[in-house]
Amino acid sequence: MKALKLFWREDCPRCPAAKQLGDNLKRDGIKVEDYDMDTVDGLAEGAFHSVMAVPTMLLVDAENDRELAEWRGNIPNVDEVRQCYQDIML
Amino acid sequence: MSPNSRLAQRSIHPVTSQGSETTDLALFVRTSSESLITWNRQRIVDALVKETYIDLETAQLISKQVEDQITASHIKTITAPLIRELVDAKLIEHGLEKVRRMHTRLGMPLYDVDQLILNPNRENANVPHGPEATNLTLAEGIKKEYALLNIFSQDVADAHMRGDIHLHDLGFCDRPYCSGQSLEYVKKFGLSLPNSASIAKPAKHPEVLLAHMVKFSATLQGHFAGAIGWDAVNLFFAPYLVGLSDREIKQLAQMMIFEYSQQAVARGGQAIFSDLNIYWEVPKHFENVPAIGPGGEFTGKNYSEYQEEAQKLAWALFEVYLEGDGCGRPFFFPKPLVHITEKFYKTPRHEEFLNFICQVAAEKGNTYFVFDRGDTAKISQCCRLSFKLDERDLLDARTPWKMRYCAMQNITVNLPRLGYLAQGDDAILFSKLSDHMELAALGHLEKRIFIEKLLALGNHGPLAFLTMKPDGESYLRLEKATFLIGMLGLNELVQIHCGEEMHHSPQALKFGLRIISHMKLIAEKLSARHHLRFILEQTPAESTAYRFAKLDLHYYSPKAATVIKGDIARGEVYYTNSTLMNVGAALNPIERVKMEGLFHPIIPAGSISHIWLGESQPSPESLANFVTKVFRHTLNDQIAFSPEFTTCNDCHKTSRGLSNSCSYCGSENVDGITRITGYFTKTSIWNKGKLGELRDRYRTKGFFPAVSETEESVKIA
Ligand SMILES: [Zn+2]
Repeated sequence: MKALKLFWREDCPRCPAAKQLGDNLKRDGIKVEDYDMDTVDGLAEGAFHSVMAVPTMLLVDAENDRELAEWRGNIPNVDEVRQCYQDIML
Repeated sequence: MSPNSRLAQRSIHPVTSQGSETTDLALFVRTSSESLITWNRQRIVDALVKETYIDLETAQLISKQVEDQITASHIKTITAPLIRELVDAKLIEHGLEKVRRMHTRLGMPLYDVDQLILNPNRENANVPHGPEATNLTLAEGIKKEYALLNIFSQDVADAHMRGDIHLHDLGFCDRPYCSGQSLEYVKKFGLSLPNSASIAKPAKHPEVLLAHMVKFSATLQGHFAGAIGWDAVNLFFAPYLVGLSDREIKQLAQMMIFEYSQQAVARGGQAIFSDLNIYWEVPKHFENVPAIGPGGEFTGKNYSEYQEEAQKLAWALFEVYLEGDGCGRPFFFPKPLVHITEKFYKTPRHEEFLNFICQVAAEKGNTYFVFDRGDTAKISQCCRLSFKLDERDLLDARTPWKMRYCAMQNITVNLPRLGYLAQGDDAILFSKLSDHMELAALGHLEKRIFIEKLLALGNHGPLAFLTMKPDGESYLRLEKATFLIGMLGLNELVQIHCGEEMHHSPQALKFGLRIISHMKLIAEKLSARHHLRFILEQTPAESTAYRFAKLDLHYYSPKAATVIKGDIARGEVYYTNSTLMNVGAALNPIERVKMEGLFHPIIPAGSISHIWLGESQPSPESLANFVTKVFRHTLNDQIAFSPEFTTCNDCHKTSRGLSNSCSYCGSENVDGITRITGYFTKTSIWNKGKLGELRDRYRTKGFFPAVSETEESVKIA
């Protein structure tokens, strides 16, 4: 089972676009977990994945948190994420 | 002066004459039976009225009752302290607890003083045993009591006594915690210290500058409880080194290290806890800064033009570290912290320098590797504490003498304690953690108020040195001070709460990250509420790890006994320091550094990972490789490699590894040497908790390729 983790911050000007992207992917039936880096869970999850910039999107193996693909500090193209999601085999 | 502080002053010297105020209380009663004749009940009344808020009538009643008691007991000799105790006992009988607190006296039982004079201090392994050290411990004892009664509120003091939190350096309660500064200050203003007999103008020669730096450090040591860090030492020395031969520079490096390591004369024989920040490159933020040279004058060049001299000094310092002291032992102080940055890797001969400092790390262990990734710049001091410079601080870099930063106090939260209290309930756990952090914040506020009071006395106060203003600002820039909140035993908290230690599963590790994330966010909220900078720090916890473990064993057994580390039967118990993984876990170094490094970005005041080498001696290249890997592929803030040594007190030779006898002469009169938390020291003076930890430490065996056999034998010969 693959999942996307999306890390954002309230005061980040680029994060709304990343959240929009997350919503689009959710509509595709992709599992997207949102993490607000100003909350305990968001900060802890971000620290676990060494997230140093927002927005960050990670594609992980939900079983073991292994990172399969990463977009750190930038907003990827939605097709690129879809492609990745389909191509990477667990 | 408040009645309370008067009380303290007088009670410390009840007998010695220190002005009329103290002599009249020194009741001649103390020395002979004759003095009973001069017994004067009114003195009790006077003291009570002066020192407390008691009403005259009650004071008279109490003095009468005490007098009756003394008369009835037919005591032949009585001392002032005893009279005071009798009065205090009466105050309790009358339910006047607050009055008693104000009237109490501070001091130590005869037995304790005897023990102190005869036995070494185990709380801080940096303090050797001797008459000066005894003075220090005695003074610390009284100041500790004073702090808990008179600086901190009862809630905070009780939380400390119970072991919910630990107020560090209570014996040094009348000073801030630690300081990081720039040599530019000494270069520009010379050595002009309040209360000093002479004033020295800015140094013209490198040896004089060094002397100024060392004396300034000693003065700082007298005004701060902890570490004294110097920024970019090799760079700021560089303008004085122009035209010097390599031999002369080496000589200066030698003087610098020996001067610091032998400064055991001050403060109870305690060496100055000193840190030298060293850069191979000219740090970006100093490149275009006008350099100050001999006489405190600008040289007309920028620091970017002094790279060559700065590098020569850096190299020479590590040559001295590699040689070690007269017996080949590692220097305990000053600690060299080399900053590894992007620019480091772009600076010519960086491979050569990295290999060289890794050789020192492998052979002697001194080198600390501080990682400043991206645009981060920081001044490190203490074993892990660093000040990340924000934009405003970087503006200060234009006038580097202004760069001085202090931490006011360090207060550590006992994390495992919260685990016992929460009994598996997340909500209770997080809310108790917030409560204990609020207590820590309260303690910080109280300390700040006290220090402000001392600073307000200005030139004539005890902290005159910190109020001097040669550059228009007080030496201590209070508005920039940070207030450290530390953590201890995260690993054991996770173990209690989740049933497994952090290195056992990603879930346990994540839970640990949640705890520290919570602490970080609460610290930010507290900062906003109180307008102070509360910042998380990994507490060095040389004695706190032992103290908390002992207290929890006492209050929370049998549960505590299942998670506390060490050997309970021997009393060698401890909690794992700060957010570290179990020191005994068989993790390979890269795993350990990676896992521990996950916490570092959320601990803003600095962190470190230790790699215990034991007796193995890796090749410099393998360590250099490792360092670069850590810089590139982890978020770890700082690492250090710690070898172990046995030094012989008979033949004065030093060999690798900890052993009960000398490998050269067979003598059993030996000392072990290795890092306790943030510095090297003899293991014979470690407290029991740290000895337990030493037994458990997992040494990296075979992970790093060793120096080849032939090279090894060459080195020993
Ligand atoms: Zn020997």
